[in-house]
Amino acid sequence: MSKHICRCEEVSEDEIRQAIADGATTVTGVKRRTGACMGLCQGRTCRRLIVGLIAAETGQNPAEIETSSVRPPVRPVTVEALLSPAGDTAGCKGREEDK
Amino acid sequence: MSERTADVIIIGGGVIGASIAYYLTKLGVKPVLLERGDICAGTSGACDKAISMQSKNPGLHLDLALESSAMFPGLGEELGADLDYHRYGGMIAIENERQMAIMEKFVERQKNHGLPVEILSGDEARKRQPAFAPSVIAATYSPADAEVSPLKLTFAFARAARRGGADIRTGAEVRGLLTNAGRVEGVVTQAGEVRAGVVVNAAGVFAPAVGRMAGLELPIKPRRGQIIVTEPMPPMVHGEIWSARYIVAKYNPEMIRSEDPEAADLGVGLAAGQTAEGTLLIGGTREFVGYDTAVTPEATAAVLRHAVSILPFLAKVHVIRTFAGLRPYTPDGMPILGPVDGLEGFVMAAGHEGDGIALAPITGKMLAAYIAGAETDKRLRDLALSRFQQAK
Ligand SMILES: Cc1cc2nc3c(=O)[nH]c(=O)nc-3n(C[C@H](O)[C@H](O)[C@H](O)COP(=O)(O)OP(=O)(O)OC[C@H]3O[C@@H](n4cnc5c(N)ncnc54)[C@H](O)[C@@H]3O)c2cc1C
Ligand code: FES
Repeated sequence: MSKHICRCEEVSEDEIRQAIADGATTVTGVKRRTGACMGLCQGRTCRRLIVGLIAAETGQNPAEIETSSVRPPVRPVTVEALLSPAGDTAGCKGREEDK
Repeated sequence: MSERTADVIIIGGGVIGASIAYYLTKLGVKPVLLERGDICAGTSGACDKAISMQSKNPGLHLDLALESSAMFPGLGEELGADLDYHRYGGMIAIENERQMAIMEKFVERQKNHGLPVEILSGDEARKRQPAFAPSVIAATYSPADAEVSPLKLTFAFARAARRGGADIRTGAEVRGLLTNAGRVEGVVTQAGEVRAGVVVNAAGVFAPAVGRMAGLELPIKPRRGQIIVTEPMPPMVHGEIWSARYIVAKYNPEMIRSEDPEAADLGVGLAAGQTAEGTLLIGGTREFVGYDTAVTPEATAAVLRHAVSILPFLAKVHVIRTFAGLRPYTPDGMPILGPVDGLEGFVMAAGHEGDGIALAPITGKMLAAYIAGAETDKRLRDLALSRFQQAK
């Protein structure tokens, strides 16, 4: 068994290599094929590792690989806190630090 | 300049293009599928998972959905992939007498069309769905509603098509159509021409841009839907849940206005279900905002307000992500399928609004049979573009 690249969703390195062989050239492509990056941390832990694997397998420059877009909230936030539009700032703050 | 020939070209690698490609290979036709991004890069990669019968208008719409639904059991095995397909049934929560009156009529017509569906009292409904709020006065229940992973379904169609000999190309953008004397003869891509006597427009919300390449006006418009994703949790929601307001928002959003004007503007209705991973998908909106796929805090708040009124436990749950997709809307809510008068060889396969996942198998099967010349489903006449052209 190869090691888990995405710990939240338990996606292995082999599965990510298979997704790249299937045509994924971006983090979003890997995400849609494997579910990686869709877990609680929303790819904060695994995104970089996936970029590295795509670069290694396809020969792309890591800096040019499209990472999946980060959609609010950047950190888990309760439904209650989002019930009024103003409450959303709780989830939107820290967007910069995520980059 | 590279030039190639094929029997059939399919433009678009969403669930519809991939399904047509697969069913063509089953009939021995090996199409070229051209997708400008990646498989699932469009709406099929940003949507919900319902194979919903209850949300369909009784008539041709429901007939097609029922036929498509009957193709799902066994499809995973046929395609050699786990599709997360389950038939857990679905419920529509009713919150007041006015909705009750609308739903009673809707359910009666659906029953007459052969859909197994009934209306349960509030207490009976809560027995099935303990998470429903006490304010839910009644709910419909149908065992016919099911669910499937749209991503797994689309990739499985594309892979099975490829194994069957289809040439599936990603990063291949169609920029022009080759036509001659009222016939389509192929397409122009950024990498050169591909010639074929049949060109299928399965470009989803971008189908109008493809149509314009041949001077065709297609009445398809993007209708945005925003969805909220929660943290994973043990089973809390059984099968698919909608609110009666969702049905109203789908077919007649103006009727919501007296209850909640903001919700009417955003077309808010509840569609909720739990994924195999345990996360809840909570939708959604129906908004005409062009091709903008942004998520907005106003819509997130409006959807969640409505969701909590029906599923109060949600208040304490964590949201981990939001996303938005564009439904390919048509004025009558039905897809535009089949041949186009005056442009021989051009085949339409777009405009499935919020039903493209559910309708993908039947769409692929009907169009493949038509293209391969095996049989022309009579219903294609009612689904043709000409229904809009005549109305003018
Ligand atoms: C929020 C939301 C929730 C939904 N929930 C459900 C649901 O629960 N159940 C259900 O059945 N349906 C649902 N739907 C509807 C469903 O997602 C769509 O009907 C379906 O995905 C449409 O598939 P498609 O293949 O027509 O379009 P797409 O998936 O958009 O595919 C079209 C493809 O064509 C490509 N393309 C465009 N132009 C070109 C070009 N010039 N050259 C090459 N390629 C091109 C695009 O890149 C795209 O990949 C939902 C939709 C949304 C937005
Ligand atoms: S490690 Fe991949 S989503 Fe958290």
